[in-house]
Amino acid sequence: MKPFAFAARSLRREFRHGELATLGAALVLAVAALAAVGTLASRVESAILASASELLGGDLGVAARRAAVPEPFVEQARADNLATNRIVEFSSVVFAGDASQFTEIRAVDPAFPLRGTLNVRDADGGERTAPAPASGEVYADRAVLVGLGRRVGERLQIGGRDLAIAGEIVNAPGGSVFQFAPTVLMSLADAESAGLLGPGSRASYRLLVAGDAAAVERYAGWARAHLPPATRLTTVEDAQQNLRTAFERGESFLRLAALLAALLAGIAVALAAQRFARRKTEEVALLRCLGASRGEIVLALTLELALLAIPACLIGAALGLGLQQAAFAFARELLPGSTPALPWGPAASAFVIGLAVLFGFALPPLLRLRDVEPMRVFRRDLETRIRRFDALYLLPFAVGAVLILVESGSGRLAGVLGGGLLGVAAATLAVTVLLLKALRVGGRRLPGALRFGLANLVRRRALTLIQVGALALSLTALDLLAVVGPSLLERWRADLPADTPNYFVLNVQPDQRADFQTRLAGLGAQNLSLLPLAAGKLVAINGKPPQAADFTDERAGNWIEGEVRVSWSAEVPPSNRIVQGTWHGGGGDTPQLSVDQSWFEMFKLALGDTMTLRIGEQEITATVSSVREVDWDSFRVNFFMMLDPAHGAALPHSFIASFHLPPAQTGLAALSREMPNISLVDINAILDRVRDIIERVSSAVTWVLGFSLVAGLLVLLAALAATADERRFEIALLRTLGANNGQLNAAVLGEFAALGLLAGVVAAAGAAATGIALARTVFRLPDYWPPLGTLGLIAIGSTILVMLAGLAGTRRIARTPPVTVLRGAS
Amino acid sequence: MTIDSATVLSAQKLSKAVDGPDGRLTILDDVTLAVERGASLAIVGASGSGKTTLLGLLAGLDRPTAGAVTMAGQRLDTLDEEARARLRRRLVGFVFQSFHLLPALSAEENVMLPLELEGRDDARQRAQAVLGDVGLAKRLHHYPHQLSGGEQQRVALARAFVHGPELLFADEPTGNLDQRTGAAVTDLLFALNREHATTLVLVTHDPKLAARCARTVHMRDGRLAEAAA
Repeated sequence: MKPFAFAARSLRREFRHGELATLGAALVLAVAALAAVGTLASRVESAILASASELLGGDLGVAARRAAVPEPFVEQARADNLATNRIVEFSSVVFAGDASQFTEIRAVDPAFPLRGTLNVRDADGGERTAPAPASGEVYADRAVLVGLGRRVGERLQIGGRDLAIAGEIVNAPGGSVFQFAPTVLMSLADAESAGLLGPGSRASYRLLVAGDAAAVERYAGWARAHLPPATRLTTVEDAQQNLRTAFERGESFLRLAALLAALLAGIAVALAAQRFARRKTEEVALLRCLGASRGEIVLALTLELALLAIPACLIGAALGLGLQQAAFAFARELLPGSTPALPWGPAASAFVIGLAVLFGFALPPLLRLRDVEPMRVFRRDLETRIRRFDALYLLPFAVGAVLILVESGSGRLAGVLGGGLLGVAAATLAVTVLLLKALRVGGRRLPGALRFGLANLVRRRALTLIQVGALALSLTALDLLAVVGPSLLERWRADLPADTPNYFVLNVQPDQRADFQTRLAGLGAQNLSLLPLAAGKLVAINGKPPQAADFTDERAGNWIEGEVRVSWSAEVPPSNRIVQGTWHGGGGDTPQLSVDQSWFEMFKLALGDTMTLRIGEQEITATVSSVREVDWDSFRVNFFMMLDPAHGAALPHSFIASFHLPPAQTGLAALSREMPNISLVDINAILDRVRDIIERVSSAVTWVLGFSLVAGLLVLLAALAATADERRFEIALLRTLGANNGQLNAAVLGEFAALGLLAGVVAAAGAAATGIALARTVFRLPDYWPPLGTLGLIAIGSTILVMLAGLAGTRRIARTPPVTVLRGAS
Repeated sequence: MTIDSATVLSAQKLSKAVDGPDGRLTILDDVTLAVERGASLAIVGASGSGKTTLLGLLAGLDRPTAGAVTMAGQRLDTLDEEARARLRRRLVGFVFQSFHLLPALSAEENVMLPLELEGRDDARQRAQAVLGDVGLAKRLHHYPHQLSGGEQQRVALARAFVHGPELLFADEPTGNLDQRTGAAVTDLLFALNREHATTLVLVTHDPKLAARCARTVHMRDGRLAEAAA
């Protein structure tokens, strides 16, 4: 026997006869879905990342406190062919005539900005894209110009230097959203020559780099290994905490969709492969009888599979790329920034995954065929003895696990999804076994045709378990795609409701507080939080002065050396949740402190520890009595440290407020004029930005989810149609015995209804549980609750779908004259 | 019993037992038998008497619980499954009651199968020639479901003889056919047997078919009782 030639001939014949076409089609569809969703997700992801780069002002940053970023970091970046941009930020008072304004100065070299564009407004109101400020020139925020009473074209003074105002900043990449002073952008050379960066300037330094993704990756690796103390890397992902959450959630959504598509594909291929192997049994027995050796049979089967798989996976990958190109053309306008190049990686990995899934699921049953007894040609009932445990069957599970891990790119997503699906599989197994037991006992009381249909489930016990399992897993994936995903997106959108605070007010003095509140209420401000704020230094933890070097988290150093802010309240503020200890309420005899969870971990605290703060001339030592989880994305005033009001009120303080007012509310400007000491921070721009990202990402994700859903439905229908074929012989027999169409339909519908209902209910429950787990651990939306009503409807809908698919599959068979079937099967 | 050079197939003290739900069940009990080259032997008996089990053991498709089978001078019990497969490929042809044609293959391709297993390049020509011999030259490209029962069994006969086997095992070759078609297929079987000088071992419960063999043995409850030829 020449195995290759034999395999090629078998493939040709069987394909022509339609035998292998189902498996080939499942594979093409699976790889196409995977390649399309993977590529689309990857492109959307890179579009989002590119947009994040614009926010950071580069692809990667090295940030240092107090001293410039060491020179080797610049040299290494140049050696790696990366563009560099130095930025120094510091606070300073800016003068113009008699007026002065506290500002945040950003001094940049001529390479600014590496990513994104700097937009300024000229004196005539026209906007333009501007280069970095030239020596002798600055760009300033509108608030600076208003504060100084100056216009574009006039001059201001910084550190004794007289500089021309060359434009009003409209958009400058790389700024911090929550800085409480307006920005002035100046040239780095000017800042250095004016002596603004001398010792004690409290400046922070940043080196931004940008270039080829691989080079940036390489540079990040090098930089991580060479970071001196008080220096840290800032990546695109942590450019902005608020935006980062948006990006991360968007990315997780895309990965989830791609993963579910992969899973559906795997199930379809697995079902087709299983069926192919079952059909091969007779042939293998005959070949054995005619003298083919085991080795030859295994080799020929494997080769035949490979000859089928490679072209099918290639066609699938090509089809997938075409499909995603079409989808991308539609989704294009939803994405920020420039069009990302077509990535080949996802299509290539879809190809490999297709092969892995096919061989993973098809090889075990095919390899088992080598044990088929040649005597089976005489005795059809001679079943191959089933070994209780066969290591080969671990292969598909291993393939599935690796698939989930690789595609998810995150252990947490993989864990939740893997756990959820495993739970669904286990629950399906348990419920199906119970159902089969019940049918065996109680099935006899059912009417004729229905009894026959359900008896089939009992008779084909192993097949029933496989089919219900596959069906439940596919329906879970579809439920996640169709119901849980969109409702999670909806919940995410609701994260920033219409009355999200869009203004912050700082420096409200205690004697202004009542008046301020009344005025705001008069303007119709909503969602007001007004909290006291005392600023000072953290001087001791458990009586000892903290050292930056004691903590692994480099941010701890910033807080130890910089200013810390503390507030107090008798009630737990909104968007805060106590996770450890007891909230102090009004306070007791000794000062009590509630600490944010990230601080609690960063400073390695324990309940009962003490923290000493110096506020003005006073020192206060408070005991840590509770830990809070703070929703920092809520755009409300929030604090890392909250004292009890009994002790906090004695500290020198002002008030800080956050509230919502429709933008362009003129009353606010009047309030600002009448209380000249208060600072008003308008965060409408950043809110718009976050909302914009959420909108764009969720629109793109809706596309990807929808695409996966369609692919998944097709796969499921193909798989169901294939299982209908298993009923060929029974239907022919029933027909022969005189069953009419109604009776045949009742048998088929009964069988498929049981399959569909069981799988649908388990899948709905599994999808709901997985959705809750995903919301809590991956998407950090703790109060998410899946729409159970919709899931219930989907369970009913999927039962009907399964019944119809079963009916459609068997209808074709029922039209074939029974004698043909019986003769073919005999 | 001695084995002379004329004996192509022999069984010595052959037994087969299987473990069933009610304990051990003996299907074949102490069967000794020799078949001479070119002879034709019919194994007859009631359903469940052990005919098919004996055929399977003689053809090397199964292993006996006790005793030995010798085929063309080779003790089958000394060979592993792979070696027995090679021996079958070279020496043995089969005809089954239910034809066992592969539904995905055309008549011609089904007949090519044994030659392809041997890796022969003239498979197609040989298959066409033999299909011509059985009167199916015009049915080369038909699939099993497009052929009548008699035609299907003729394809099976062609497949059994195409590689010139020394031994032909037939299990109820006319069991699925009507009387007239069965008779035609029987004629063809014996004609081919004569032409190819093949040794024929045939299992049947049809006395007319058995009568066409030179020798008949009866199986009863797993034991052999020779009848007069």
